Amino acid sequence: MTEKNANNLMLFIIFLALTVIMTVMIPERFLAINNFRSMMRQFPEYGLLALGIMLAMITGGIDLSIVGITSLTGVVAAQVLIRHAESSLPSELFVAVAVLAALGVAVLCGLLNGILITIANVPALIATLGTNSVFLGLAIVFTEGHGIRGFPPEVLLIGNGQALGVPVPFLIFLGIALFLGLVLNRTRLGFNMVMLGSSPVVSQFSAINNTLVLIKTHIMIALLAGTSSIIILSRVNSMRPGYGSGYLLLAILIAILGGTNPNGGFGTVLGVGLGIGSLQILTSGLNFMGFTPFFRNFIYGLLLLLVMVINYYRRQYSGRILVPKAGAGTESGQQ
Amino acid sequence: MKDFLKGLFKHNETYLALIIIVFAGVLTLINPQFMSFRNIFSLLKNSSGTAILAVGFLLVILTGNIDVSFPAIAISAQYIATTTLIALDSNSLALAFAIAIGIGLLYGSINGFFVTKFKLPTLIVTLGTFNMFHGFLLEFVGTRSINIGQLPDAIKDFGDINLFTVAGSGSNPVGFSIFVGILIVVLLLTFFILRFTLLGRGIYAIGGDAEAARRAGFNVNRIQFFIYMYVGVLAGIMGMLHIALINYGNPNYIVDSELLRVIASVVLGGALITGGKGSLTGTMLGVLLIVTLEKNLVMIGLSSYWQEFFVGLIIVVGVTMTHVQAKLQSTQKVTIVRSH
Repeated sequence: MTEKNANNLMLFIIFLALTVIMTVMIPERFLAINNFRSMMRQFPEYGLLALGIMLAMITGGIDLSIVGITSLTGVVAAQVLIRHAESSLPSELFVAVAVLAALGVAVLCGLLNGILITIANVPALIATLGTNSVFLGLAIVFTEGHGIRGFPPEVLLIGNGQALGVPVPFLIFLGIALFLGLVLNRTRLGFNMVMLGSSPVVSQFSAINNTLVLIKTHIMIALLAGTSSIIILSRVNSMRPGYGSGYLLLAILIAILGGTNPNGGFGTVLGVGLGIGSLQILTSGLNFMGFTPFFRNFIYGLLLLLVMVINYYRRQYSGRILVPKAGAGTESGQQ
Repeated sequence: MKDFLKGLFKHNETYLALIIIVFAGVLTLINPQFMSFRNIFSLLKNSSGTAILAVGFLLVILTGNIDVSFPAIAISAQYIATTTLIALDSNSLALAFAIAIGIGLLYGSINGFFVTKFKLPTLIVTLGTFNMFHGFLLEFVGTRSINIGQLPDAIKDFGDINLFTVAGSGSNPVGFSIFVGILIVVLLLTFFILRFTLLGRGIYAIGGDAEAARRAGFNVNRIQFFIYMYVGVLAGIMGMLHIALINYGNPNYIVDSELLRVIASVVLGGALITGGKGSLTGTMLGVLLIVTLEKNLVMIGLSSYWQEFFVGLIIVVGVTMTHVQAKLQSTQKVTIVRSH
């Protein structure tokens, strides 16, 4: 069995086990259809961010600016949306312009990250840590730290609407996840990303344009964050800079849980999907059992370490990493 | 003399010092009080906590790793030490520091364990431990803030100790705080380790190339373990200085402010995030510039909303300059190698 299948099979078993445990422990509330609906509405906003982290990790890097991009694009979209009150133009137009503006800003953010990482040669970790503050800082400057509210009702459909009984955010997530799966498995870009993550030197000498691949990757990540911001502002019906600051940890946790190799070269959309499922069920369970958010964060941190340790042993046994390099400095993985 | 000047302008530190001098000049023109002993000494006192954290972070960066958990260690050490003192009705500063440093050692060794034993990416490990440490603090120790009335006198008095005073008297002296004294001790110790011990050479060697350092006979694991413990201890000390400085403790302080400030300072000081390059002088100048800038943002006509943006911009511009420089230098090296 290949590494890919073995990993996803294990995740699927964990996912099933968690579901069974939750069902047995709190049957009447966990199995309720409303519970599933609310889960499907909640997870896409950080699920998209987790997919972004996965893309970054596949290329051997990281993107710490996703929450900053979410804030900035959300604030830009919100600024467009609140103009609808003082105009006679149809609200749908404002919604369309807001979405386009958010995605446009996202492309710029991703482009900046990509250029810093490739042309300026700054390691992804520190480049995106800095740009995160720049993006978040701009969002704070635009709004003076306040939340923005007063959107046209049409935009609320994105976050709260349903199609055939399925929440819209889930459909958006599903569509994007399928698309990303195709990109990774069926296109040259996806292949190049995996190559680059496995070994930047080899990919460079295989006539792959590392610079272009990384810039495209970071634009994709930023677009995912931009989409997430649209879902957030629509679901919450307001936009505040810094919303979802806890999503970074969650996104990284999901990506790692989904079997993504933080050193680059491996990651699957299905794995991330199963990771989201397991974590969402665990989170719901912790909520039902009345644990505080502080304890949840503690569990998230612990889980992140545990999963990485388990993956370490699994990779050792399957012989993927034969000799671990001395020094754990993998942050400098990118060229 | 000419050679000396030439050498001087090869260093990042010189440019940084010039920027600080120009900036201080501008601030003095706006407000002549800026260059007073009172203001300078208070600036040094206020920034010594950040500076101590920056020293620890510099060591991590020198080895090419990262640690984002140190703010959580600092606040845990501070809060657990102080609440223990209150619970025991004790007024012993030594006990407070012993607890804080003990927690720093314990948490630092947890980081060190995961990093060295499993060779995991240090960013993700310390992101995990950050949430564990802080989550543990809020869930199991407490979420309430400690106000000045509850604070043991020993801690309050500690914040007011001056090593010497230059002016003023009674309740309002202009003095050189013990905080700066502690910072100087930390700096001297770290300088000694980096400059005169095998450990220090090992730290630079790992940052240059971990595999090469291992083959040269350095015990890479032990050095990394030491660094994470050292960072933990420094974070513990910083936690105590912080509560003595503001006479108020809140389990959510430090975590949301110090991480970026420290990273920005170290990066601005010319340290290469990929390891092997960085200096204490540069780091201290970086801290000085960041703290001065943050404190005087309003004075140069910008509202405090700009703070996050500016710190981010400083990080981005700082790292870009350092890494473009490094890239240019390495290209030169390659051409030299080829031409021979």
